[in-house]
Amino acid sequence: MSEQDKGGIAGLLRAFTRRTDASAIVATTVLFVLFSLGTQNFLTPFNQFNVWRAASQNVFIALGQALVVIVGGMNLSLGAIGGLTVVVIGHSIEILGIEPWIAVILGLATGVLCGLFNGFFISRFKLNSFVVTLASSFIFQGLVNGISQGRPYSKIPREFTRLGKGDVLGVPNMVFLMCFALVVVYLAFRYSLLGRKLLATGGNAEAARLSGIKTGRMLLLANTLSGLFASIAACLWISRMGTAQPATGGDWLIVSFAVTVIGGTALSGGTISALGFLFSGLLMALLRNGLIMLGVNVYFESTFLGCIILLAVLVEWLRAGVAGKSRRL
Amino acid sequence: MLEIHSVSKSFPGVLALDDVSVDLRGGEIHALLGENGAGKSTLMKIMCGIYSPDSGEILLDGKRLVLKDYHDAIRNRISIVHQEIQVVPLASVAENIMLDKLENFARGPFVDWKALVAQAQCHMDMVGLDVPSRAPIAGLSAAQKQLAQIARALSSGARVLLLDEPTSSLTLHEAATLFALLDKLKEGGVAVVFVTHKLEEVLEVCDTVTVLRDGKLIETRPIAGLERGRLVEMMIGRTMRDDYRGFLPEPGEEVVLEVRGFKSEFFDGLGLSLRKGEILGLYGLVGSGRTELAKTIIGEYPRTAGELLVHGAPARIRSVSDALHKYRIGYVSENRKEEGLILSASVVTNIAITVWERLAGALRAFFSPKAERLRGEEMIKRLEIRTPSPMQSVEKLSGGNQQKVSIAKWLVADCDILIIDEPTVGVDVGAKASIHELIWRMASEEDKSVILISSDMPEMISLARRILVFKEFRIVGELADLNSTHHASEDVGRMIGEYLA
Repeated sequence: MSEQDKGGIAGLLRAFTRRTDASAIVATTVLFVLFSLGTQNFLTPFNQFNVWRAASQNVFIALGQALVVIVGGMNLSLGAIGGLTVVVIGHSIEILGIEPWIAVILGLATGVLCGLFNGFFISRFKLNSFVVTLASSFIFQGLVNGISQGRPYSKIPREFTRLGKGDVLGVPNMVFLMCFALVVVYLAFRYSLLGRKLLATGGNAEAARLSGIKTGRMLLLANTLSGLFASIAACLWISRMGTAQPATGGDWLIVSFAVTVIGGTALSGGTISALGFLFSGLLMALLRNGLIMLGVNVYFESTFLGCIILLAVLVEWLRAGVAGKSRRL
Repeated sequence: MLEIHSVSKSFPGVLALDDVSVDLRGGEIHALLGENGAGKSTLMKIMCGIYSPDSGEILLDGKRLVLKDYHDAIRNRISIVHQEIQVVPLASVAENIMLDKLENFARGPFVDWKALVAQAQCHMDMVGLDVPSRAPIAGLSAAQKQLAQIARALSSGARVLLLDEPTSSLTLHEAATLFALLDKLKEGGVAVVFVTHKLEEVLEVCDTVTVLRDGKLIETRPIAGLERGRLVEMMIGRTMRDDYRGFLPEPGEEVVLEVRGFKSEFFDGLGLSLRKGEILGLYGLVGSGRTELAKTIIGEYPRTAGELLVHGAPARIRSVSDALHKYRIGYVSENRKEEGLILSASVVTNIAITVWERLAGALRAFFSPKAERLRGEEMIKRLEIRTPSPMQSVEKLSGGNQQKVSIAKWLVADCDILIIDEPTVGVDVGAKASIHELIWRMASEEDKSVILISSDMPEMISLARRILVFKEFRIVGELADLNSTHHASEDVGRMIGEYLA
C-alpha cells in the first residue's frame, strides 16, 4: 500500500475499491437492504432459509467453475458432470439397491473421473479447454440421458435429505458447509503450495513453467477438482430436492460463470476471492428470489439474470478504472 | 524533407529523448545508431506518429506536421517497418501487403482480388520476394516476411521509410538484395532511415549517420571519411572504457556444466563446457541458436542425442522444475513479459516463486506468506528494485525494475549455474549498469557460474571472459584468452566479426 492509504476513511475507501470483490459486496448489500424494505415476505425465516440454501448451492456450483478459471481455462461440461453424478447416485440407489453412502462415493468418483478426462486432454495434448469441455459435455449429457432414459429417481431415502433440508438453530446445514468450503478455499489459495502454484499457472502459464512449476499437472489438478466440486454440488442438489432429477445441471453454466465473474475471479485467471464467492453466490440467490417476489414472469428469468451479469461486469470495469487511477498517484 | 526540431519525450522514470534534432533529406539513407535504450526506437515512433513528443516539433517540407497516430503518418507518406514481424499468418502474402489499403480494391462490397494480387506482385518484385503471392504468409521464412513488410510500406507510396533493424533476421544474400533495393529507392528520392547494430552495413550503405546516447543527440555527420572505431566511440562514449571490469579470479578447473554432442531439431552435435566461477558469453545474432541451446539445457526443448553433465555427473533434466530443484540451474528469459514474469502478480510473488517448494519444507504442503515476503524484501533491497510496495503488481514497474525482478527470482533460488538471456534489453542505462555489476559479482565474489547470452557487443565485452560465437546453430569460434589478456574492445569486436564472416 502506498502512503496515502494509511489512516482515514478516504484511505479505507480507496483500499476497498481496489478489491476485486468490491462490486459484489456493494451490490449484494444494496440489494439485500432494498428487498428487506421493499417487500414483506423477504425477511421471513422461511424465505431467508431458502435464499441462503440457494446461495450455498450457487457457491458450490461456482467453485467448480472457478477452479478451472483461475488456471485460465473453463469447464463447459460442469452441468453435465452434475447431471451424471445425480443419475449415477439415483440409479445406484433405486435400480441397483446400493447403500446410499456408497452411492455418494460412486457419485463423487464420477465427478473426479469426468474432471480427469477433461484435464487429460487439456494438459496432455495442450488442447483448448473450450473445445475439450464442449465435446465432453455432449459425451456426459448423452450418458445422463441414456442411463436415466429421462426418468427421475424419486426413491431417495429420507436420511439423504438431512444435509440439504436440515438446520441448526434455524441456519441451514448447507450454509455451514459453504462456510467451511470457503474457509478451505481461502486458506488453500493463501497458504498452500498447490494453491499458489495454481494461481501462478493462471497468471502466466509460460512464466510459471519457466519458474519450475509443472503447469501440466496443475491443469490436470484444476480440472479434476472442478469435476469433484460439480459432483459435490450435485449431491447437495439431491439432498435439497429429495429426488434425483436427470435435468439437474441444465442452468449451472450461466450460474457458475455469473457467480465466478461477479465474485471477482478474473476470467483471465490468476486471482480468486473467497469472500467474493460468498457475496456473489448470495447475489444470484437474491435476484432469483426477488424476481419471484416481485411477481416477474419466471419464463423471463434468464433475461434478467443475463442483464444483471452484464451490469456487474460493467460496474467491475468502472471499479477497475477508478482503482487504477488512484493507484497511479 | 522531414525535420525533427528539439524533440523531447519522457516515460515514467526515464527521459527517453532529450532535445533531439535531426534532418532527413530525400535521396539519402540515414543511419540511426545507438545502444539499446539510447532512444532510437522512441525517435522512430515519434517520426511515424505512434508516440507524440512532449515538446519540440516535426516539419514536413517546411510545414509543421502534427501526427495523431500511425494512420496520419501513412497519409503523409511516412511508413515504418518494425523489427518484430507483424503479419496476419493465415492471410495470403498479397493480402498482407495490401492489408492497410484493402479499401482501394473495393468493388462494391467485394474485394477485387485480381487487381490486388497484381499490384502486390509488383511490389513483391520490387523487393525481390519470389514466393507465390496467394499462399498464406505463415509458410514464409522470417526473412521473407520481413521483405513482405517492406513491400507493404513501399506500396503505401512512402516518401519517408523508417526501417528498424531490417537485417537482423536476414542472411547476407538477402541483406544484399535489400541494400540494392534501398539504393533504388534513394535514386527515386525517398528518405530512408536505417536502424541497425551492424556497423559494417552503416559504413557500406548509408550516406549520413546520427548517433544517440542516453536519449541525447551526439552527432549527425556524413559517413564519408568515417572509420568504424570512431563510430563505436560515438555510440558508447567514454563509458566503454570505464565499463571494463578487469579479470575474474582465475576460474577453477572444476567443470560445472558440460554439454556433449547435443542433437535435436536445432542442433547437430553441439558441445561446450562451463567452469566454476566463470562468465561464459554466447555471442551471435538473434536466431543463431543461443536461446534454443539454453532451453534445451533446462529441459524446455527436447533433444534426440547427446549428454548433459552437471558437476561431472550425467544429469537428467526434463523440465525447469528438474533444473531448478535437482541441479540448481536457473534461466533468466530474454522475454520477461511473456516468459519471465507473472505481470498481474506482486513483486514478492514473482521473486519468491522459485523458492516456494523450499519454503514449504518437507511436507511440501503449506508456507507462510510472511516468510515469502521476507525473501522478496531482501531481494528488493539487494537489487535496489524501485517499487512503491513489495506487494505492488509487477506490471506497474519500469522495464529496468521488471528485469531486476526477473533476475532476482533466480538469485533468491541460490542457483549455482545461471543462464542469463539478453539481461538488459529495453532497460535504461542506470539499471543496465547495476545489472552488469550484479552479474559480475555473482562470478567474482560468489563463485557462481554464468552463461551470458547477449547480442549487445559492449555488454559482452564488459562481462564475458570467454566468448563462444554462434552462427546458424553452430559454434563457429571461441575467444578463450579474455581473462588473461586485455584486448581493446574494437579488437574483440573484430575477432568476433571474423568468426561470423
